[in-house]
Order: sequence, then structure tokens, then C-alpha cells
Amino acid sequence: MNRLRRTLAGIGLPILAVGSLALLLAVAAVVFLLNEQAVRRDLAREAGAQADLLASAVSGALAFDDQTAAQDYVDAVQVNPNVLAAAIYDQNNRLVASYARGGETIPPVATPRDHTTQFLDGRLYVVRPVTQGGQRLGTARLRLVGKPLAQQRTQGVGLFLVVALSALLMTVLAVGQAALKRANRQLAARAEELAGANAQLHEQMAERERAEEALRQSQKLEAVGRLTGGVAHDFNNLLMVVSSAADMLQRSDDPKRREALIAGMRQAVERGSGLTRQLLAFSRRKPLKSAVVDVGEQVERMRILLERSLREDIRVSIDVQRPLRPVELDVGELELALLNLAVNARDAMPDGGELTITVFSEPTNDERICIRVADTGVGMSPAVQSRVFEPFFTTKEVGRGTGLGLSQVYGFARSSGGDVTVQSEEGRGAVFTLCLPTTDKALAAEVSAAPPAAPRARGRALLVEDDDGVAAGIGHMLRDLGYTYVRACAADEALKMFDGSDLYDLVISDMVMPGPMNGLALAREIRNRRPDQPIVLSTGFSEAAAAAGEAGFPLLTKPYGIPELAEAIHAAGPRRGTVTEA
Amino acid sequence: MISRGAFRVKALALALCLAHSAAVANTHLEQAVKANYLVRFTAFVEWPTAAFPADGSPLHICVAGADPFGQTLDRAAQGQTAWGHPITVRRVGSESLRGCHVAYLGRGYSLTAATNLPVLTVTDADVSGHRGAVHFVVVNSRVRFHIDQGQSQRAGLRISSRLLNLALSVRGAR
Repeated sequence: MNRLRRTLAGIGLPILAVGSLALLLAVAAVVFLLNEQAVRRDLAREAGAQADLLASAVSGALAFDDQTAAQDYVDAVQVNPNVLAAAIYDQNNRLVASYARGGETIPPVATPRDHTTQFLDGRLYVVRPVTQGGQRLGTARLRLVGKPLAQQRTQGVGLFLVVALSALLMTVLAVGQAALKRANRQLAARAEELAGANAQLHEQMAERERAEEALRQSQKLEAVGRLTGGVAHDFNNLLMVVSSAADMLQRSDDPKRREALIAGMRQAVERGSGLTRQLLAFSRRKPLKSAVVDVGEQVERMRILLERSLREDIRVSIDVQRPLRPVELDVGELELALLNLAVNARDAMPDGGELTITVFSEPTNDERICIRVADTGVGMSPAVQSRVFEPFFTTKEVGRGTGLGLSQVYGFARSSGGDVTVQSEEGRGAVFTLCLPTTDKALAAEVSAAPPAAPRARGRALLVEDDDGVAAGIGHMLRDLGYTYVRACAADEALKMFDGSDLYDLVISDMVMPGPMNGLALAREIRNRRPDQPIVLSTGFSEAAAAAGEAGFPLLTKPYGIPELAEAIHAAGPRRGTVTEA
Repeated sequence: MISRGAFRVKALALALCLAHSAAVANTHLEQAVKANYLVRFTAFVEWPTAAFPADGSPLHICVAGADPFGQTLDRAAQGQTAWGHPITVRRVGSESLRGCHVAYLGRGYSLTAATNLPVLTVTDADVSGHRGAVHFVVVNSRVRFHIDQGQSQRAGLRISSRLLNLALSVRGAR
């Protein structure tokens, strides 16, 4: 059906053309017939006039038997190419003078006729009487072509032109139609080709993406390799500080000197901790734990930390431009990013300066919150700017920086769905702008707000830790916080102790331990038995930390100090019925 | 049955007989042609209206002096008309040409008597060298004529150019 319609549509134009041609031919035929009649009328009139002229001219010659003169008049008629024959007959119908073109015959004696105009067999016969003064002298007779040659030719040419033009029109239409169809087919083929090429392109793009991903991963691996050297160097320095300080502590009784040594050790530990935190952040792909926070508040809260980590000759000003919509992110990462930006600014201002942190909604788009960290330092060349977020890219001398700080900022920005940009000129400071997408989620209800500086609790703790050194350290801190504790070296042992004893006010467990059960499984097991049991997990591994966060247990990332421990214990909540002293 | 030789003799005799009668007929034919021409002239000449008493009144062809035509002219004119006038033949002898329209001047007729009348005078070289408005001559055994327009104009006649064209000569043109 469809095909039929298409076929009809296809031949529609030719049908129209054929119809037009037929109409044209019909009109041409009618015109031809009408014209024919008119032509015959005209022809008869002209021939009659010519015969009349001949008759009147020849009258004298006929009257007085002047055959020569008569012949002259007859010959004069030859000028008309349509005249086939001409003759003068006397009153007795005997031939006096005549001429005939090839093939024409002249009868010597004419049929008596007077005044005749007659078309016969394609000829026109005209007879006119020759009279003078009322006397009949004879007849003048002409025989002409029924249709003048020139006219015949003209009509033939006209008809031929009409037919030829029509045929031409039809041909042009047909050719045009064919060309159109061909063009359509080509177009369809092109479209198919294009679609194919598009699919291929998409495939290639996907392949390229995969290849790029693989390249990034391999670059990361390479970076990790390079990192090992740098970190080992840093750690050796730190360990050197700690080990020498420990030796010196043993040998010195001077409290002042011991205090200095301890401070040095703590500083070294802090640097090491920062280093590992950055490494972990770098190796991690997903946010450790996301929370919906007010970025402004988070930044305000870091004021003291920032001021402490910078030098006295650097003035810090923080400007939070409200209102701000909440942002979902990893608070620890945010803090680290800010710290890295601050440290970067500090190192860019060896002679002091001003650090301005501004928090604001992006003017054109309140779907994003931006933190602008501006310094008045030495600035950067464009070449440095272009590489500033690359891992391990550093302008600092060996041992002063790992090259991970700003790459952490970059990684944090990207994993949070935002971005970070830098604007700088050499000698004119640098401005880093970190923008993060806002969320429609509600702010988390008081995330570890106002941690107690050193909350003192009283109770019994079960410490699960396989490393003796670490266990001892944590034990000291627990005691300092007012806990007595028992220690288990593995999860199964801890579970036995938990089952076989009275209630514990706190269970604090390492996550990665030898044995069939890890810390997280232990925590779950304990929660099953006693859902209100406060549990704190600790680990130095990022993957384990993420798992703990998902399971909803408070987490301590190693290394940690007393304030962090106290905060985690606070987050774990008091066991019901247990009195906690502030 | 007639023998072939006898047929030849008969045929020769017939031919001789015909040749004789042709010579006789030649003069006769000449006169017949002239008579015929006299009638024909009337068609190529226009007379003043005063020349006819009324429409349809006869046109007279007169033979003055000796009549060489006899019945030939009467036969030629019989039933003929010119310009609506029936043609009649008159023989006027030596009398005036008054009332005549065409006058053939035969032997023994003086032309002076016909000067101011609307008459087409026809003379004949056979008769005399004196010429009227039309003057018959025989050239190459054919009857031809000269025309003197001076005379025809004096007579108040108009001769058609078609007749003038056929004349051996036209004299006295204006």
C-alpha cells in the first residue's frame, strides 16, 4: 500500500507532464485547424485577386490576339512561387498563353467556366473571366498550391517546436525527478554513514576515556613510587628527631631540657601525622565520611588552628559572607585542604604578610559555595600555576614539602564535585578559590559540636590492640581520661572478656588485627549483644576507616592524642545508667 | 478495297485543294479579324456621354466608303455590347459620320468630313496611307494597328492604355 502510494507519488510528475503535453497537442491541433481555414480563405482571396489582375491586364492582348503580350502577362505570374500553372483562354476556351511548373499539364481546350474558386486535391483552382467594356474576351486561369509552401513549413516548424518543447519539458522533469531520487538515496546513505561514524566516534571516545583512566591510574602508581622515597626521607628525619630525643630524655634530668625534648618529639610526631594524613587522603578515592555542614562555620572553627600553624608575622583574617547554603563534604578533608592552602600561603610569605580567607556564595550561582584563600606572597609564574595541583610538584627545597598539599586540595575539590582555581602573578600574591556544590539536605544535628577540651570520665574500658607499644600509649591516655582498662590482643579474646565480665563503660578497638575477626566485626558483635554499648574504633588505614564510618561507629585515625580520644569517647555516648563527670 | 497508291493520290489532291482555299480565305480571314477588331475597339474606348442620346442606346460602327467586310462585320457585332450599348453596324457610304461611334473609312471616303465628331476613325493601310485615330496594318501576316491619340482626343475620346500598349506606335500623345 505504502509502496503503491510512493510509486504513484513517483510517477505523479510524469503524469502531469504527459497530460500537459496532450493538452498542448490538442490546443495546437485546434489552432492548426482554425489557422488552416483562415489560411485557405486568405489564399483564395489572394489567388482571386491575382487572377483578377491577370484577367484585367491581359484583356487587350486577348482582344487583339497578341499572344506575346499575353504570354508576358502570364509569365509575370510566375513570380508567385505558389502558382503551379497559369493560362489564358479565349472566349472559345482555346488556349492562348500559359506556363506550367514541372509536372503540371495545361489542357489546350478548357472546360467552360466563368468565375470559379475551388480547392481540389490539395490544389486551388481559380478561374476569372477576362472582360472589357462588358465584352467577354476569355478566361484567366490559375492553379496554385493548396497550402503555400512557406506556410506549410512555418506550421510544420511550429508544430514540431511545440512537440519538441513538450518532449523537452517531459525529459527535464523526468531527469529532475531521477536526480532528486538519486540525491535522496545518496543523502540517506550519507546519513547512515554519518550515524556509523558517530557510533564509531562514541566507541573511540569511550576507549580513550578508558585509556586515560588507565593512564591516570598508572601515573598515580608512579607517583606513589616516587612518594615512597620522599616520605621515607621525611619519616627518617622525624624518626631521627624522636629517637635522639628519646635517648636524650633518658640521659637528662633537667626538667627544662626534658620539656624541650618532649616538645620537639611532639612536633615531629605532628609532622609525621600530617604527612600520613595527606598520604591517606591522596590514596583515597572517595570521601572518608561526608556530612552536611555549614562551610562558614567550619572555617571559623579553624581560625585558631590556622593561626597556630602559621607564623606570628602573618595576619589571618576570615570573612564569612552569609547566607550560605549547606555543603555535603568530608570535614576532615576540608580542614586538611584549608590547612594545606594556609601552609602554602605561609611558605609563599617568607617575610610575613596577610592571609585572607573569604567564604561566599558564588555570585552568579548560589548552588556553589566558594572559599577564597588570598595571600600577599611571592606569587607564581604561569608555568608554576599550570602545574601547581600536580602531585609531588613542589618549588620548595628537598625535605621542606612533599608536593602533596595542593594536590590534596585539588583531589578534595574534585571528589566533592567542585573545583579549585588559582590566580597569581609573580610578586603579587596568589588567590586560590575552592568552590563546592551546595546540597538540599538539612544540616547535620550538631556534629561533635564543641568537643570537651579534656572531658574527664570515670569507668572501665576494654582496650583491644595487638601492638604492645600502641596499647601502652593508649592505656596512658585512657588513664589520664579517668578510665581503668583491661587489654585484649585479638578480637576473639576481647569477645570472651566482654562476655565473661561485668559491664564495660567503653570498648575501644583497633580495626586491623590478626585473627579471624577484625575490629569492625567485633564491634558489630558487641553491638548485637548490647546495643547501647559505647564503642570507639581506631585505625591507620583509610579503607577500614571508611567501613567504620559507614557502620556508624566513632572512629579515631592513628596517630591521635588525648583530645581526639576524648572527643571520640564523647561521640560514642555514655552508656545508659553510667555517670559521667565533666 | 482501296489500294495504297490510290489513297496517296486522293490525299495529294485534298492538300492542293486546301492550299487554294487557304489563299482565298487569307484575305477573307484578314477582313474577319479587322471586323472583329472593330467590335473589340469599342470596349477599349470611352465616349463622352453626349455621344449617346440615352443609356442603352446603340453604339454604331459605321463603314464609310467601300465596304470590304460584307456580312463578316455584322456577324462579329451580332449580340455584342460595349459599355452597356448594343452594337449595331451601319453603312454610311459617303455620308456624314454623325451618329457614328466607330467609323471604318473604306476606299473612296474623305476623312475631312469627320473631324469634330466623337467618332473613332479607323483607317486601313490597305486602303490608303492616310491615318485615322487607329490605322490597320498587316505585319508578319498579323493584323496590327497604329494609334494617333491626337485625333482621338480631338474627337473627345479616351483610349484605354491596354489598347495603347498593343499598338505598334502611338502618335500624338499629350
